[in-house]
Amino acid sequence: MNSNKKIVVTLVFMCALFFSVFIYLTYFQLFKADDLVSSNYNRRLWEKEESVLRGSILDRGGLVLAESEVENGSQKRVYPYGSLYAHVIGYNTRSYGKTNLELSFNDYLLKTESLTEIIQYGMDMGTENGELKRGCDLITTIDHDLMRTAASAMNGRNGAVVAIVPSTGEVVCLYSGPSFDPNEDELVKNWADLSEDENSPFLPRATKGLYAPGSTFKIAVAAAALENGYDDFTVDDEGSVKIDGRVFRNAGGSEYGEIGLREGFKHSSNVFFSRLGVELGAETLKKAAEDFMITKKIPFDIETSASAWSYGSDMGKTELASVGIGQGKLLTTPLNMAVVAAAVANDGIMMKPYLVQSVVSPNGVSVYEAEPEAFGRVAPAVVTDALGDYMLACVESGTGVNARIRGIDVAGKTGTAQNEREGRDHAWFVGFAPKDDPQIAVAVFQEYSGSSGGAACAPIARKIMQQWLEG
Amino acid sequence: MSYARSMKPLFYIILLNAVGAALISISGGARSPEALVLTGAICVVSIICYTVVSFAGFGDPYLFLIISMLGSVGGIMQLRIRTAYGVRQLKWFLLGTACYFLAMLIFLAMRKILPRLTPLYVGVSVALYAATLVFGRTSHGSRNWIVIGGDNGLSIQPSELIRIFFVLTLAAIFTAQPDKNSKKKKKADGDKPFGLRPNAARLLSASAVTAVNLGFLLLQREWGIALLFFATYFFFIYVYGASRGYLLLNAAAAVGVGAVSLKYMGHIQTRVEAWLNPFADASGKGYQITQSLFAIGEGGFVGRGIGEGSVYFIPEVHSDFIFSAICEEMGILGGFAIVMLYFVLTYRGFKIALACTNRFNKAVAFGLSLMLGLQSFIIIGGVTKMIPLTGITLPFISYGGSSMLTTFAAYGILQAISALKEETTDEL
Repeated sequence: MNSNKKIVVTLVFMCALFFSVFIYLTYFQLFKADDLVSSNYNRRLWEKEESVLRGSILDRGGLVLAESEVENGSQKRVYPYGSLYAHVIGYNTRSYGKTNLELSFNDYLLKTESLTEIIQYGMDMGTENGELKRGCDLITTIDHDLMRTAASAMNGRNGAVVAIVPSTGEVVCLYSGPSFDPNEDELVKNWADLSEDENSPFLPRATKGLYAPGSTFKIAVAAAALENGYDDFTVDDEGSVKIDGRVFRNAGGSEYGEIGLREGFKHSSNVFFSRLGVELGAETLKKAAEDFMITKKIPFDIETSASAWSYGSDMGKTELASVGIGQGKLLTTPLNMAVVAAAVANDGIMMKPYLVQSVVSPNGVSVYEAEPEAFGRVAPAVVTDALGDYMLACVESGTGVNARIRGIDVAGKTGTAQNEREGRDHAWFVGFAPKDDPQIAVAVFQEYSGSSGGAACAPIARKIMQQWLEG
Repeated sequence: MSYARSMKPLFYIILLNAVGAALISISGGARSPEALVLTGAICVVSIICYTVVSFAGFGDPYLFLIISMLGSVGGIMQLRIRTAYGVRQLKWFLLGTACYFLAMLIFLAMRKILPRLTPLYVGVSVALYAATLVFGRTSHGSRNWIVIGGDNGLSIQPSELIRIFFVLTLAAIFTAQPDKNSKKKKKADGDKPFGLRPNAARLLSASAVTAVNLGFLLLQREWGIALLFFATYFFFIYVYGASRGYLLLNAAAAVGVGAVSLKYMGHIQTRVEAWLNPFADASGKGYQITQSLFAIGEGGFVGRGIGEGSVYFIPEVHSDFIFSAICEEMGILGGFAIVMLYFVLTYRGFKIALACTNRFNKAVAFGLSLMLGLQSFIIIGGVTKMIPLTGITLPFISYGGSSMLTTFAAYGILQAISALKEETTDEL
C-alpha cells in the first residue's frame, strides 16, 4: 500500500527530528553551556550572594576596608577608602564581576560557618529575625597607616610601594597608583573613561606591572659573584666601557677608578657590573635570576604577573653586559623586587608573601590562618650578610643616601631603568631596615619617573621604613 | 511474555514516583500528605490500567505505560515547582485516565459513523473558535482561554480539544469512500465542484479546512498550535497523494505567511529576534529563552538534582518551559530520556497506524501520533533555542488540565484503534 510507505517516511522524519534534539543538546552542553552560564544575566551566579551578607575585609588592626550593607533589600559593597585599596581588595560588582581579594577569597567571604560550627550547632544557626547570614571576615596583613603614607608620598605619581615583613612574608603595604574608585556606582559611571585612560588605572602596578629592574638587579648579580668566587674581581672604571661595540656608561658619567664589588655596588657602577655580567656568563646570571624568582610568577593571595627572563641559553656579550646592569629582556614586578629585598634581609631565606592573615567566621572561629612559608634559600647566609653590608654602604655613602634614617642602619639599592621612552627612566629603590635585625623590606617604584631611584624613590622608602619601625 | 515479566515497566514507574517524592520531600518541597497520596494513586492506577489493557485485549499495552511514565515525571516536576500545581496536575492525570478509557470506549462504539461526521467536526471546531474569540481571555499575548464561572472558575483552552477534531476532520476527508452512494451525495452537496478528480477534491477540502483553522488560530495568536496544525496537514497531504507541485505550493504559502507576519506582526519579530540573538536584549525580549538556556547549561549532563536547581528563575517554568526545568535538575541525559519516551510513544502510534487496515482508523492513528510527536518536538526545540519558540504545551508534563485531558483522550483513541487492528472491516 502506497500510503504505508509514506507513513514510514514520515516516521523516519520524526525519528530524525527527535535525534536532532540529542545532537543539538549534546553540542550545546559541550561547547556552548560553559560560556553561556557565566553570563551576568544568569541569576544563579548571584543566588548564593543574595542569601549571604558578604563578609568584611579588615586591615591588620581591625579597621574595615570593605563591608557590605543591605539597602532596599539588596546588598551593596562599600569601600570607605575609595581608590586606595582597588588594587588590593579589588571590587565586587554585578556589572564587572570581581577582582583581587574579592575574587580569590570569594568563597570565604560567602562562607557562613566553619565545619566545626556546623557539627556543633547544626546548619540553621544565626538566622533569627529573617536576617541574612553573615559570611566570614578577612583579616589582611595590610597596615592602613602605611598605605596612607605611601599614597601621600607617591603624590599621584604612577608606580608602586610594597612593604614586607622579611621574617614572615606578611605584606604590610601594597600601594599601586594610579587607581580608581571601586564602589559600584562610581565604577559604572567611570568605566568607559577608566578603560580608555592612557595611564591605565586598572593596572595593579605592584603585582601585575612588568618593568626592567635596572640596577636593583645588581643585588642578584652581586650575589652570584660572591657565590661563584668573584669576591676579588676588580675593574678600572673610566666612566664608560665598550663591550662588543656597545658602550655602557655610568650614571652621570662618573669615574670611580680601580674598584671592587663593594665599591661597584655602592656607586651602582654600570662599567663594573656590565663587565661582571660578561665574566659570570649566561648560566650563572640565569641561575641568579631564578634563585631570586625573577624568572617566575610569585604565588600570592591575589593574581600576579610572571616576571620574564626572555633569553635562551646562548647569550651574546652585550646581552650579558645588559643583564649585568638589570637592563635587556628582563622584566619584573615591584612585588617581586620587594620579595628579593626581604630574602636578603631574612638571611637568604625567601618567604612566600601573603596578604590575608586569617579568615574568621561571624562567631569568631578561625577558618583559615596563614602560615609563614619559605620558597627556599636564595643564597648562603654569608653571601646575604655581605650583600647587606654593600646595601648599607649604598645608603650610607652611595646612591641611596636619601633613604638614610638617623640612628637606624638602612640597607638599600637604587635603580634607574631605561625603557622605551627616552629620558623617562623608571626609578627604583629596594631595601630593608634595620640592617642587623630587619623588620621591614620595601620596594618603591616610579614609572617613567625621569628621575633617578635615589632621588625619587629612596625618600619614599625612608618614610615607609621609618613609620613602620616607629609604629 | 508472562504477566510477571511484563510487569517490569510498572516497577520503574513506581520507583520513579517513590524516588521523586522522596527527593522532593528532602529538598523541602512538597510535604503535603495529599501529594504523597496522589503520587501513590498514580502508581496504583498505572498498575490497574496496565492490567486491564493487557487482559481485556485493548491492544497495545505500552501506550499507557509510556504515558504513565511521562505523567509521573510531570507530577514530580510540578510538585517540585509548587505543591499546589503538582496536586492539581496529579488530579488531572487521574481524571485524564478516565478520559482515556472514555475516549477509547466512545471511539469503539461510534467507529462506524465517525468517518461520516466531517461537518460535525468542522462545525464544533468553528463553534469553539468563535466562543474563544467572543468570550475568550488573553493570556501571554494569545487569546486562547475561556473562563467559565467568574474569575476563579474553570479555565479551558478550546484549542487543545480542537487538535483532536482537526485530525478527525483530515482523516475523514482523506478516507471518504469514493463509492457510488457517497459520490452522488457529494455531488448533491456540491462538494465536488468543477468536475475535479476525487483526490484533487479531497486535497482542496483539506486545504480549505486547514486554512479556516489556521485563520482562527492566527486571530487568537496561537502560533504554536498553528504551526502544529500546518505541519500535521502537510504530512497528511504528503501521505494521501498530493503531487510534488501541490506540496511545494503549500510550503511556499507557509513561507509567504511567515514572511508577511515577520514583517508586519511585532510579536513574531520579537520571537525571531529572541531566537537569533537572545542576548541582544537578555533582560527583555530574550529573557525567557536566556533563562531557559542558563537552566539547561547549569544542569550539565546529569543535572543538579531534583529540588536542587533554581528553576524558579525561568518564566512559565511549569507550563511551556518545563523541559528546561527537567534539564536543569535531571541534566540533558534526563532530557534525553524524556525525548526517548516521546519518540517511543510516537513510534508506537505509527506502528498502530501501519498495522491498521481500516482506512479511516489508519489516518486517525497516523494523524494523532504525528501531531503529538510534532508537538513535543516543537516545544522542546523551542525552549532549547533549536527552533524559534512558539508557546505550546509539553504533552503530559506541562501544567494544565485542558492539555492533559485532551491529550489523554487522543491516546485513548489510539488505544481503541490498536484494539481494532485485527478487525478487518470495510473495503480497502
